[in-house]
Amino acid sequence: MTPVLEVESLKKNYGQLPALKGISFKVDQGEIFGLIGPNGAGKTTTLRIIATLLTPSDGRVSFLGFDLKKDPEKFREKISYLPEEAGAYRNMKGLDYLEFMARFYANNGVELKEYISRGEQISDLGARLKDKVGTYSKGMTRKLLLGRALMTKPALAILDEPTSGLDVINSLEVRETIKSFVKQGISVLLSSHNMLEVEFLSDRVALIDQGQILDAGSPQELKEKYQAPNLEIVFKSCVRSNS
Amino acid sequence: MKNFGHLLIKEIKELINKQLIISLVLMLLIFSFIGNVTKKEMKKAIARQKIAVLDLDQSELSKDLIGALNMANFIIEEQAGEKEDVIKKLQMTDLGLLVVIPSGFSQEVSNFKPVEVETYSYLRGISISGSRTSEVVKALLNTTNDFLSNQYLKKRLPDINPAEIKSPIKNREFILVKERMAQGSSAAVIGTLYAQSYLLPIILMMIIMYSSQMVITAIAMEKQNKTLETLLTVPISRQAIAMAKMLAAGLVGLLSAAIYLYGFKMAFSFPTEELSSVTGGLAPILKQLGLTIDTQDYALFGLSLFLAILCALSIATILGVLAEDYRTAQSLNIPLVFLVLVPYFISLFADINTMSLPAKILVLAIPFSHPFFAMQNMMFGHMQMFWLGLVYNFVFVAVMLIWTARIFATDRVLTMKLKWRRKKIVL
Repeated sequence: MTPVLEVESLKKNYGQLPALKGISFKVDQGEIFGLIGPNGAGKTTTLRIIATLLTPSDGRVSFLGFDLKKDPEKFREKISYLPEEAGAYRNMKGLDYLEFMARFYANNGVELKEYISRGEQISDLGARLKDKVGTYSKGMTRKLLLGRALMTKPALAILDEPTSGLDVINSLEVRETIKSFVKQGISVLLSSHNMLEVEFLSDRVALIDQGQILDAGSPQELKEKYQAPNLEIVFKSCVRSNS
Repeated sequence: MKNFGHLLIKEIKELINKQLIISLVLMLLIFSFIGNVTKKEMKKAIARQKIAVLDLDQSELSKDLIGALNMANFIIEEQAGEKEDVIKKLQMTDLGLLVVIPSGFSQEVSNFKPVEVETYSYLRGISISGSRTSEVVKALLNTTNDFLSNQYLKKRLPDINPAEIKSPIKNREFILVKERMAQGSSAAVIGTLYAQSYLLPIILMMIIMYSSQMVITAIAMEKQNKTLETLLTVPISRQAIAMAKMLAAGLVGLLSAAIYLYGFKMAFSFPTEELSSVTGGLAPILKQLGLTIDTQDYALFGLSLFLAILCALSIATILGVLAEDYRTAQSLNIPLVFLVLVPYFISLFADINTMSLPAKILVLAIPFSHPFFAMQNMMFGHMQMFWLGLVYNFVFVAVMLIWTARIFATDRVLTMKLKWRRKKIVL
């Protein structure tokens, strides 16, 4: 498999506080790669660096051959980022929001229509797309934002806690949507502290704690390695063996 | 460029929202109401004053005095009866002034003795027309004194015009501006220049305050609504994001200021017929003194204003980055408002050129100050000060834009916050 994303010895310090202590991993094409760990482990910092929001203190990130430090613009053309606590413009209608975001990526009218149509399909909000975002529930907003993140078929979708704040039904729908989109060839890098969700979604996962990757592999490999029934137990055993 | 235009339209749409439209319409209605009330009061004040006169002398001279008052733009309502009864009776009317000509008035005048004419002012509230009463009394006394002194002089010196005796010195007034000189009234010239330019500082203040408020709010709202992170990851340069916000705020700020100004003018502009006739008469004098403004001056003033707006927007953009939410944004705009108020009040009540050097430096260090004094500098030939102001603002804008671009290009756009409790900037 060809890696679309390669992260090598990535470090990030917030003043004196080291948030990432040199993490490395690769994401292959068409793969869902999950970062799992507790709050404050460094998951969001990693995703924000790859999404070009934060600059790394050290290390290298390359994406489709482009270097993050040299070509952040190239990253932005090909990635799509869904932050954990993202919002949409409250005064815009859902459909207008999708169009507004799609225009940044579309090269012509045909592409624009295609992106909007896909966004409508993924968000699955039907007639409510004609209402203002300010009237949406948290679940509806999250689905709209997921539609926005995936509609342009990015080479890499970066999803930070994609089901954050959603109820069971909406969470299931979002997971199914992500799964089905990967089949169309896009790669996904996601983070969650919900390890069962990551186990369901990811082809491979990295266990991250206190700014370091403790272990990585497919959920099945890790469960076998740590003789655990699920990733939660894997994580617990992994933390214990590393401490 | 395509994405910049797209983003700019979104920014403008976000700023021109229901709240802004409603507040502007309400403001226009309020100004229109104030204007109607004020104009009615002004009309009352300017109109011929109606006064009551009780003539207890009933002599030929007292009748001549009433005739003179009538000629001097007063409408006379003659009263009859006892003084106390008339005073009480007038309480029930809308008349504001009663003049009592005492009995023996003619006799005392004929003997060249001072005469006491009583005036009674009825105060019925605080308004422009009410406050005119003292002016009316003064005008009335002047007319009466003028009439009586003319009578004395005519009796004693029948061959001489009383006006020539009362005002033997005539004045020919000249005004000098730098090396130019013209004959005319300095008070009239200053009055005309003031009438032509009194709205200018208000316009400047409004444009600068509005634009900066909008750009701070726009960035703070992106943070509060958690949309900034997403926007920063789309394929458009960070500088373009900052510029789109600044330009949109500048344009909407200009529009709001224009609407406010229109409302303000509607409420507080007074009948201009007399003013324009005065200005028309003064036009050649103003031209002779070089106090007129031509197209080139307007262009230079526009440039000065444009640079000042850019200064305000660039400062506001950085303040917007420091704000975490809408509430903080409101607080962060306060220092900017104070900085605009300083040159505003100085331009209204003081002369920057006569201030002490340290005070002058402090005022001119505020980049918004320069357009406030630009017109005056151009008219009175202080071109060195004008150009220095322009260069200062240009350098200020360049430095601030580079700084803004750097902030937007790094983590700081997300991590820079002003923590009120610690009173320091955390980067």
